[in-house]
Amino acid sequence: MKKSTKLWLIVLLIWSLSPLIWQLYSSFCTTDVLIKPFEIHSNRWTLDNYKQILNADIGFSKYIINSTIVGISTTFLTILIAIPGSYSLARLPVKIHNLTRSLILIAALSPYVLLFLALLEMARKFNLANNLILLSLPYSALSLPLALLLLASAFKDIPKELEEASRIEGLSSFQTVRFILLPLIKPSIASTAILVFLFSWNEYPIALSWLSNPEALTLPVAIARLAGSSIYSVPYGAYAAATVLGSIPLLLIVLIFQRQIVSGLTNGAIKG
Amino acid sequence: MIILLVPSLLLLFLVFGIPFFRYIWLSLHSFSVSTSLIPINNNGANWIRLINDERFWQDVIQTARFAILSVSLEIIIALCIALLLNQSWKGKGLIRAITLLPWALPTTIMALGWRWIFNNPYGPIEQFLSLVNLSELNILSSPYLTWIATVVADVWKTTPFVALILLAGLQTIPNDLYEALYIEGGNARDALLKITIPLLKPYLFISMIFRFSQAFGVFDLIQVMTGGGPAGSTESLALYAYLNAMRFLDFGYSSTIVIGSFIILVVICITSWIILKQTIYLVKQ
Amino acid sequence: MSFIFVKKSVINLFFLTTLTSLNSNGKADITKQINILMPAPFQESTKELINEFNEKNIGKIKVRVTKGPRETEAVSDLAISSLLLGNSPYDGLLIDVTWLPKYAQAGWITDLSKWFSNDEYGELESGAQKGNKYNSVLYRWPFVADIGLLYWRTDLMEMPPRTPVELMNISKELQRKRLVKYGYVWQGRQYEGLSCVFLELVKGFGGDWLSKTGKVELSNEKTIAAVKWLKSLLDSKVSPIAVTNFSEPEALQTFKNGDAAFMRNWPYAWKELHKDDSKVIGKVGITTMVSTDDNQPVATLGSWGFSIISTSKNKNETAKLIKFLTSDYAQQKLFRKYGYTPTRKSTFRSTELRKEIPIIQELQKALNLSKPRPMTPVYAQISDVLQRHLSSVLSDNKDVRIEMMKAKSTTQKILDSTGLIVK
Repeated sequence: MKKSTKLWLIVLLIWSLSPLIWQLYSSFCTTDVLIKPFEIHSNRWTLDNYKQILNADIGFSKYIINSTIVGISTTFLTILIAIPGSYSLARLPVKIHNLTRSLILIAALSPYVLLFLALLEMARKFNLANNLILLSLPYSALSLPLALLLLASAFKDIPKELEEASRIEGLSSFQTVRFILLPLIKPSIASTAILVFLFSWNEYPIALSWLSNPEALTLPVAIARLAGSSIYSVPYGAYAAATVLGSIPLLLIVLIFQRQIVSGLTNGAIKG
Repeated sequence: MIILLVPSLLLLFLVFGIPFFRYIWLSLHSFSVSTSLIPINNNGANWIRLINDERFWQDVIQTARFAILSVSLEIIIALCIALLLNQSWKGKGLIRAITLLPWALPTTIMALGWRWIFNNPYGPIEQFLSLVNLSELNILSSPYLTWIATVVADVWKTTPFVALILLAGLQTIPNDLYEALYIEGGNARDALLKITIPLLKPYLFISMIFRFSQAFGVFDLIQVMTGGGPAGSTESLALYAYLNAMRFLDFGYSSTIVIGSFIILVVICITSWIILKQTIYLVKQ
Repeated sequence: MSFIFVKKSVINLFFLTTLTSLNSNGKADITKQINILMPAPFQESTKELINEFNEKNIGKIKVRVTKGPRETEAVSDLAISSLLLGNSPYDGLLIDVTWLPKYAQAGWITDLSKWFSNDEYGELESGAQKGNKYNSVLYRWPFVADIGLLYWRTDLMEMPPRTPVELMNISKELQRKRLVKYGYVWQGRQYEGLSCVFLELVKGFGGDWLSKTGKVELSNEKTIAAVKWLKSLLDSKVSPIAVTNFSEPEALQTFKNGDAAFMRNWPYAWKELHKDDSKVIGKVGITTMVSTDDNQPVATLGSWGFSIISTSKNKNETAKLIKFLTSDYAQQKLFRKYGYTPTRKSTFRSTELRKEIPIIQELQKALNLSKPRPMTPVYAQISDVLQRHLSSVLSDNKDVRIEMMKAKSTTQKILDSTGLIVK
C-alpha cells in the first residue's frame, strides 16, 4: 500500500469514527467534566449516565425490542410480497415491464416523509395505530420499490432456458420457483432483507405519526423524545449514553452483514 | 403471471397512490382546529395562501440550498472514498464496514450527537476554540452557520451510501482502458477525466437524483438537531408541513404544502434534466 | 342423554354469565384504571402523591401516570398525536396554559363545571384563575401557577432594578468592576420561552402582542421599543451572544455558576439555586420583571393544569384525582419540596408557609400581576411567527421595525384566515 493511500485511509477513518468516539467519551464523563473539560477533576469517569438511561421507567431495551419487532415483521412481509412480485415483473412483456418499472422507480425516488399526514389519517380511520406489527404495513410498502427492483434484476439474470428445462422435467411453476429459482437468488434476497431491516429499524417520521403510546415507541422516536432541553439541567452525558446504546445493535449488524449490505447497494445501483 | 404482482401494486397504491389523491382533496379544503376539525370546501384559498406565504418560499430556498450543497459535497467526497476503496489490500472488509457505519445508524441518534458536538459553550468545537483563545463561533445560534452544520451532519451520514454506489460503478470499468491510456502517455489526471468520470456518469446520475430527492425531503435531522431555528433558517419543507399538521392542527394547509413541495421537486428535476441534456448536446457539438 | 347434556350446559352458561355480570357490576373487586399523561418533571414530583391516592382508593381507582418527554413542545406533540390517532389511551392530561383553546376548539377536552363549582373557582388566587376557560367554559383546573420572575443577586446590589434603564446600568457597572461576567441572562432561543420573555417585557413597556379587542399590536411603538431594548442587551454585551441559543437550563446554569447578575426564569429555579452545587446560595432574590416608569410590571403566566379527555370513560374518577392533586394539602407539599407555586388562596394564606418560605409573598405578588399569552386556538402559529421574527432580530441583526411589521402582517393573516375571535 502506498504511503499516501494509508494517510488518506486514516483521514477517512477519523472522519467516520470521531463523532462516534466523542459520544462514547461523553457517555462515560461526569457532568462537571463535560462542562469544564480542562480543569482537574477528582472523579472523571462515571457509569451514572448509563444507569440513568437503563433505569428509566421504560427501559431502553424495550425500545430496542420494539424496533426489532418492527424490523423483522417488515422484512418478512416485504420479502414475502416482493418475491412473487419481482418474478412477475421480470417476466412481463417488455413494454409493460418498462412502464411498471418506471412507476416503481418514481415511488422509490419520491421523498416518502411527505406521506406522514395521509398515513396518520389512515391509522386513525382503520384503527391501526400503536401496533408494531401493523406498522410493518406502511413500512413494507415503503421498502417495496427497492425490494422489487433489486429482486427483479436478480430474476432477470437467470436464463430463461433454465425455467424451460425444469418445465420439461415436469415441475410446476411453483416448484420451479421454489426449487430452481429461489436458491439461485438467495444472495439477493439476503441483501434485500438486510436493507429493508435497516430501513425499518431506523425509520422516523412515519413511526412518529403512528406511535403515541410510550410503550410502543421504536428506538429512533424514543431517542428523539430524549432530545430537547430538560427543565432542570443539560444532561448531555445521558444523551450520549443513549446514542451509544442505540448504536450498538447497528454496529453489530453492519459488522456481520457488511458483505450483504454492500452487494445489495451495489447491485441496486448497477441494475436498479 | 401478472397476478403475482397484484399484491405489490395494491400495497403501493394504498400507501403512495391514495395519499396523493387525499392530499389534493385536502388541499382544497379548510380542515383545521378553526373549523373544529371538519373539512369545509374553501375554493382554493389554501393555494392562494401558499403562493403568498413568504415562509413557504423561504423554506423552498432553504431546502433546495441544503439539498444542493449536501448532494454536491457527498458526490465529491464519495468519489474520493470510492477511488480509495477500489484498491485492494488486507482488511478492506473491516474498513468498508467502518465507513458504512454512519449510514447505518438512525438519523435521530446522530442528530442528537451533532447537537452536542456543536453546542456552545460545552461542545468540543467551542471548547477547542476557547482553548486556543479564538472567539466563539456560536454555530447553532447563527443563521449563517447553522445550516452549514446541518449539511455537515448530512454529508457525514449519507456519503458512505453514495460511495458504495460509485464503488460499484468503478468496478465495472475494465483495467485495460487505463493501461491503454498510460501506454499512450496519459497521466492520472487524464485517467480520471477521460475514463473514470465519463464511464461513471450513469452511477453519478443515479446517486445524484436519488440523494437529491431524499435530501429535499429532509426531516429527521432538522427536527432533532435544530428544530428549524435559529430564525427559521434551517426549516425544511417537510418540517413546515409537519408543524402545520401536528402543532398547528391545520391539515388543509399542511396538505397544500405537501403537494406544493412535490410540484417544486418535480419542476426542479425536469429543469435540471433538460439543462443537463442541453449542455451535453452543446458539448458534443 | 344428549338432552340432559344440553340442559346442563345451558345452566352452566347461565351461571357463567351471571357470574361475569356480577364481576363487572359488583362492588367488591372492581378497580377503575385511569391514565394520566404528564411531562417528565411532574410525573417525578407527583409520584408520592399518586401513591398516596392509590392507597386511599384501593379497590376503587388505580391511577397510572404516563411519563411524557421533558420538553413542553414534545409533550404537546405526544398528546396531540395520541388524540389525533383516536382512542386516546389517556383519561386526563396535564396541559400548558397555551394549549387550552386549541384542545377545547378541537373538542378533545371536556367541560369541568360538573365537578368544579363556581365557589370552588373563587377559592383560586385571582392570578391562577386566568387561562382556564375558553369561550367562558371551564376546561382546565390549575395545578401549578408558573410565572416569569426576575432573579437578582442580593450580594451585588441593595435593591433590584425596577426599570430597564436601571437593569442595564447596574449590569454594566458590575461588569466593569468585573464582579460578574454577564449582566442579564434570559431565554433567547427560537422557542416558546422567547415568546414568554417577550410578553412580560412588552407589557412592561406599555406595548402588547394582541390587544383586548384582538388587534395585533406588534408594530406598536412601545412594542418596538421593548424589542430594541432586548437587542441592545446583546449589543452592549450585558447579555452574552450565546443567550440567543439559551433556554431555561442554560440560563440557570450560568446564573447558578455565579456568572450573571440577573436571570429571567420560572419559580422552579429557586429550589435549583439552593442545591448543594450552587455558587449563589443565600445570594438570590426574586422580583417581577422590569417595566418603564408609567407601567406596571407584568409576569408571563405559564401555568400547568389538568383537563379531562372527552372520550374518557372514567371522568368522575379523574376529577376525584384532580381534586386531590390540587388540594391545599398537595399544594403545600409540592411547594415545600419542589417550589411549585400554589394556586389556592388558602395555601398562600398559610402563616406557617409564609414564615417557612418567605418568597411565597413575592410569588403571590407576581402571580396577581401575571398575564396569559393570547388565548386563541391558533396560538401555536402566531407564537411561532413571533419567535421567528424575534430570533431574526436577535441572532441575525435584522432591523427591529421591519421584522415586527412582518410579524404583524403574518399574524394578522393567520387570525383573519381562522375567523375566530381572540379572547
